[in-house]
Amino acid sequence: MQSILSRDLIGGAAAIVIGAVYLSFAYDLRASALDDIVGPGGMPRAYGWVMVVLGVALCVVALVTRWGTDARLEWRGQGRRILWAAGLLGIGIAYLLVVNSVGYLLSMIALIAATIVYHGERFSAKVLATSVFGGTLLWALFVFVLDVSMPPGILAFFGA
Amino acid sequence: METILTSAGYLTDYHIVLAALIGVTWGIIGGALPGISPSITMALLLPFTYTMEPTSAIVLLAATYVGAEYGGSVPAILIRTPGTNAAAATVLDGYEMNKQGKAGLALGISLYSGVLGSLFGLAMLMLLSKPLAAVALSFTPPAYFALGILGLSVIATLSGDSLIKGLIAAVLGLMVATIGTDPVTGGTRFTMGSSDLLAGIAPVMVMVGLFAMSELLSQVSNRGEIERVNSKPRIEFPSLKLARRLIKPQSIGGVIGTFEGVMPGAGGTIASFMSYNEARRWSKSPDEFGKGSPEGIAAPETANNAVAETALVPLLSFGIPGSNSTAILLGGFLIHGIVPGPMLFQRSGEIVYGLYAGLFTAAIGLLFIGMALLPVCIWIVNRPRPYLNAFIFALILSGIYSIHNSLFDLSIMLAAGVVGFLMRMLKFPFLPTVLGLVLGYLVESSFRRSLVISGDNYGIFFNDRISLGLLCVSALFIFGSIGKRIWDKFRNQKRDTFSEGTDT
Repeated sequence: MQSILSRDLIGGAAAIVIGAVYLSFAYDLRASALDDIVGPGGMPRAYGWVMVVLGVALCVVALVTRWGTDARLEWRGQGRRILWAAGLLGIGIAYLLVVNSVGYLLSMIALIAATIVYHGERFSAKVLATSVFGGTLLWALFVFVLDVSMPPGILAFFGA
Repeated sequence: METILTSAGYLTDYHIVLAALIGVTWGIIGGALPGISPSITMALLLPFTYTMEPTSAIVLLAATYVGAEYGGSVPAILIRTPGTNAAAATVLDGYEMNKQGKAGLALGISLYSGVLGSLFGLAMLMLLSKPLAAVALSFTPPAYFALGILGLSVIATLSGDSLIKGLIAAVLGLMVATIGTDPVTGGTRFTMGSSDLLAGIAPVMVMVGLFAMSELLSQVSNRGEIERVNSKPRIEFPSLKLARRLIKPQSIGGVIGTFEGVMPGAGGTIASFMSYNEARRWSKSPDEFGKGSPEGIAAPETANNAVAETALVPLLSFGIPGSNSTAILLGGFLIHGIVPGPMLFQRSGEIVYGLYAGLFTAAIGLLFIGMALLPVCIWIVNRPRPYLNAFIFALILSGIYSIHNSLFDLSIMLAAGVVGFLMRMLKFPFLPTVLGLVLGYLVESSFRRSLVISGDNYGIFFNDRISLGLLCVSALFIFGSIGKRIWDKFRNQKRDTFSEGTDT
């Protein structure tokens, strides 16, 4: 059984969904007595419809040009790629969740260590030393050189 | 002459000189890292420019672009991996020279040609920008609308093999640009009740996400290892005889680089390959090309460094970013509330002249910093990818947070990174999205203001001469590139498959 779900077809379908969701919000924009002839919703509605039409066009082109070819070959190994990328994204999200409570310095050290290990390095003294050095360097750069107020977290007592 | 004298006055400003030298240094290092394009190198610096004085900030970013264009040739010559797309043509003869034990000479020709290309490009930039901007001084809202359309018309050229995908990417950028406060009535749109979105989504978050974050996600998903350098070459400059032989390919590179830089959407990669081809066509020894010809390095390196300067012509004169890197530079201008385009020379002339002085410093600094940084570049090219990526990830998160001290900004950047990763996977180009994002506000606000002024008469766009002229040029751009697509299809010539993270 051949699959027709090529990258272009998925891209076209995504464009249709994005356009449709955007359009539903665009049509919900309230009119006001101050509105000009186009109004706040005019351009968004035009963009939404253009997006939907282009999405349909991409789907049609994908179906016509790839008819008879198996799209599964295009996706070989892509699931694994998405999972690996999701892992790095997870590290970023974890950083967002803890940085305010733990503080910038400690969370940055943890982020660097986690990212290195996630890229395939074994956790070692070298990884730890690099993370501490990198985190401290960035902390000094942003807090002292650029005078940015980074979240101090549990190290607030030390002014970190 | 007046431009040269005014710009020369800024050469004594140590802020500008320092920013230029730091920018070149950072650019060479970034350019030398395979996978890190000039635009990513610039995007990584963008958050830091918030706290800087505007002229120094712009010089820092522009000098980074100059440095990165040279830096890309280092791994191209040493490990057969172009650090930037524009350095791909340098691989052909650079790596061959390396295999013949002439890596030092190849690096020397690349550096020396890069400096010449930068100086030639700067001269062209100074010559062309002001006259073009003077024409644009009498701009009215309809003309600004037409200017925005002209900027968007470049999308047809930048869309890789699929125009539909380029247009979808552009509309996505236009959609993001509508988030926030309505430009005419002041009402809110698509904010979902969030006060963080009232001012809209700053282009810098989207740019860093699309270019830098998506590159990290892409690299971690591939988990490949890069080749390592075994030799430790020293830079060796060409003899007088060889230098004379290189004048012709360097001239070809300079002229093609200038032409391609001024045309929005063309860029360093096309300029490099075109000048490589032309240098071979006009060479007395065309057979040497591809087998370690010094001319095969001189032409593309002069061209891509000339592009780094002349690509600023459409940006400064019309406010149109013709490449990823100039789009990031546009972000740098906008961060400081400066709008490049017709009024730039009137309102912020000191920034333009400071930029010229900074670019001159960068071109000269490139020679010395390039020589000094070679061992550093070799060291960096050999760093294990996990350590390098971890540090870049930490730098991105810290830099974006520092803009508004906001975790919400980090969420937007990460989301843009995911969108960028998916766009890479589905083979959608980025640059149309960036163009849509940065030009969306201009197009909508000018369009609606024009209609308010004219009492809802659409004829205003055709009655205004500048508007009509720009709309005609836009139409030429659009139909010209569509025509070229059809012609390429007819001749069975393959276009660039897609512009993933490229610096066109």
